[in-house]
Amino acid sequence: MQLNTTIPKLYFNLENDIDMNNSESEYRLEMNGISKSFGVVSVLKNVNLKVKHGEIHALIGENGAGKSTLMKILSGVHQKDGGQVVLNGEEINPKNTHEGQLLGISVVYQELSLVNDLSVAENIYLHKLGANKFWMNWKKITSDAGKLIKSLGFDINPAAIVRDLSIVQKQVVEIAKALSEDTKILVLDEPTTVFGPTDTQKLFDNLIRLKKEGVSIIYISHHLEEIFKIADTVTVLKDGVETGSKAVSETNTDEVIRLMIGRELKDLYPVRNVKISEEPIFSVKNLTAKDTLVNNVSFSVHAGEVLGIAGLGGSGRTETAKLIFGADKKKSGTITLGGIDLNITCPAKAVKHAIGFVSEDRKEEGVFLPLSVGRNISVTNFKPISNKFGFIYSAKEIANVVGLIDKLSIKTHSRNVIVENLSGGNQQKVALAKWLSIDSKIIIIDEPTRGVDVGAKIEIYNLINEVARKGVGVIVISSDMPEIMGISDRILVMHKGTIFGELPKEKFSEENILRYSIGKNLKS
Amino acid sequence: MALTTKHQLFSPGGLIKFLIKYNTIFIFVLLLIFSAMISDVFFTSINLSNLLKQVSGIGIISIGMLLVILTGGIDLSVGSFVALLAVTFAIMVNTFILPVAIVITIISGFLLGSVSGYLVAYQKMAPFIATLALMTIARGMGFIYSKGSPITFKTPGGEFMANFANNSFLGVPNIAIIFIVIVVIAQVLLYYNVFGRLIIAIGSNEEASRLSGIKVNKYKFLVYAISGALAATAAIIVASRTNLGSPNMGMAWELDAIAAVVVGGASLNGGKGSAVNTLMGVLILGLIGNILNLLNVPSYPQQVVKGVIIVFAVLLQRFEDKH
Repeated sequence: MQLNTTIPKLYFNLENDIDMNNSESEYRLEMNGISKSFGVVSVLKNVNLKVKHGEIHALIGENGAGKSTLMKILSGVHQKDGGQVVLNGEEINPKNTHEGQLLGISVVYQELSLVNDLSVAENIYLHKLGANKFWMNWKKITSDAGKLIKSLGFDINPAAIVRDLSIVQKQVVEIAKALSEDTKILVLDEPTTVFGPTDTQKLFDNLIRLKKEGVSIIYISHHLEEIFKIADTVTVLKDGVETGSKAVSETNTDEVIRLMIGRELKDLYPVRNVKISEEPIFSVKNLTAKDTLVNNVSFSVHAGEVLGIAGLGGSGRTETAKLIFGADKKKSGTITLGGIDLNITCPAKAVKHAIGFVSEDRKEEGVFLPLSVGRNISVTNFKPISNKFGFIYSAKEIANVVGLIDKLSIKTHSRNVIVENLSGGNQQKVALAKWLSIDSKIIIIDEPTRGVDVGAKIEIYNLINEVARKGVGVIVISSDMPEIMGISDRILVMHKGTIFGELPKEKFSEENILRYSIGKNLKS
Repeated sequence: MALTTKHQLFSPGGLIKFLIKYNTIFIFVLLLIFSAMISDVFFTSINLSNLLKQVSGIGIISIGMLLVILTGGIDLSVGSFVALLAVTFAIMVNTFILPVAIVITIISGFLLGSVSGYLVAYQKMAPFIATLALMTIARGMGFIYSKGSPITFKTPGGEFMANFANNSFLGVPNIAIIFIVIVVIAQVLLYYNVFGRLIIAIGSNEEASRLSGIKVNKYKFLVYAISGALAATAAIIVASRTNLGSPNMGMAWELDAIAAVVVGGASLNGGKGSAVNTLMGVLILGLIGNILNLLNVPSYPQQVVKGVIIVFAVLLQRFEDKH
């Protein structure tokens, strides 16, 4: 097996020089009849994926449909159970990502896989470091790294330590890392999650340039509008099966969604008929934070209302939520719930007053990954299910949890499934369920559907509606404009740490939200 | 550092950042000044020479500990290794010529460390447990091997080592020179050599390292073996200073080594630390002991002071990390 990995590179180069545009197949990559199971769970069933030279091929599907697994088989992380992978006419079977990279397959993952304590250049050429050399030409890799980043249109010091970079810069380094070797197939898994519109455009420009150079790009994303912008072909997976593969020019969003979830989607944003209270149940006045940019924020929330908070990244939305929830320190201002002034100095106090907070970073801050679904849901309040010595009545806990799992349609075999093993959408539902189990009066949800597929999105919107129906005041922070307009009754727009403007339903539009976000008044 | 920008110092706020970043050196300098003020015996060549001789043994072990900690592990066995290897060296030096004795001792140290390394890297044992086990085994073996009592050097080879260990070259104690050379080699390895960068990578993000084709197990194995070899070096030095190898040597030295590494700014999670800063940590702890001795503070209160300093040093690191 060792021999196998050192020889092919030469062989492939030869093949490429001679046969690149004349190979028998019009496809650079063919994955035929791929099957994979983890234990008894069948994750991929006879999946086909065919990618041409120099095309951008979108791979979409709900979470749990099998996209990541398919890519992991391609790159060498997992071994397939059945089928074959053919690259440039040769069957390949990489046993690890290093072998995958030698074959020209590079993957940029959703979860950042950088080494924080090394420099940018060392991260980009990490595989070179690992290739058993005793000496490294530091000057060369630093300048090569610098050139590579520049060619992508970004400006990052290649000698900087990754720990000190912003999340956007880290993502750029990830992409540069994937391009550091002679890449024939570039796989991008949700690359624009952390990017704003300008950086997304830069990425697209780069992808188009790479495409012209002949690189095949597999693009996984939940953002259908992105796919229709730059992809040539789209392949849809559903529950481990390929449901369709079409040229982007010959299809539309509706058809693609139908292929993804197997049903027509009348309304992405379910209608909510909830009576909103006359008087607000919750209000903040002149709220200012000690250490963050939140400054003089005032607003109120009514029972049964969904209040959207929009704004650009860094405008202070999450910081406001954290301030209300007691996770950050308050300098001045008041928080009032049900007419009573609350003195919230830490999250425990907020929870006591029935305020819930679902974080935008659910893996880090929302769920207990190694614990079970059941334990995750019970964790906010053991009181109703434990006796006075602290021992937990398992029967009560189980009943409570099972009821919620059912209500939220969390897809899990049982309440004992470890949350780490759930899909992103289901993890999000677990994070939400936590707060529902204690009858919160106000729930703040930060980016409710980040990294969640279309099918699960609707379920989460339904959940939000149900929560509002119970009389809870829901504050939703979202960077997804159609989403925030689709589910809110009112929208507040933040800019530089304060609320710049408020939009009633009649005034909802992307243009209006954007204008307020950058500190400009509406056109009159 | 191989690849970090040196332009930080000359920017606004850069000076504060510099002070915070190099806080270990500043603590050390402050302590130095304080010591000079407190006692007029401090800056004498005898005292400084003694101080350096005293810290060299622990210092060498601390460098080995640093390498292990950088990969996210820990090595509790080094103190016991010193005892066992000191006994080994004494027996070897009484049986073979000096060069052979030295080589056998160091190889033995490497092999002992390899056992821990194998258990941690290939059997996936928690480093704490693996090295704890080796610690007890080695300590016991030391007593068995020496039959419970110290073994004195009886050959000319032994005599040579004893003299070497107590002499100085150009005013600097020989063993301190060895310690400093080891620090320099370690620093160069960590910041200019692939081996060192890989150690840091593994400690910083083991999964990413593995996925990039780095032979994680091999390097994890090696750091424990190297730690063992360094323990052997320390053992030779310590035995030579006193002209004997005793199974009671090195008691709790692993804790002192960990303290030195931590005071020197390394993170116990791995990925962060430098040899020069560990040297500072060693000197700081040695200095404290030295000052307290000069002030005639008895040894038990000395322990308390040491512990307090360690807490402050770590709190200071956290302050640095937050900013």
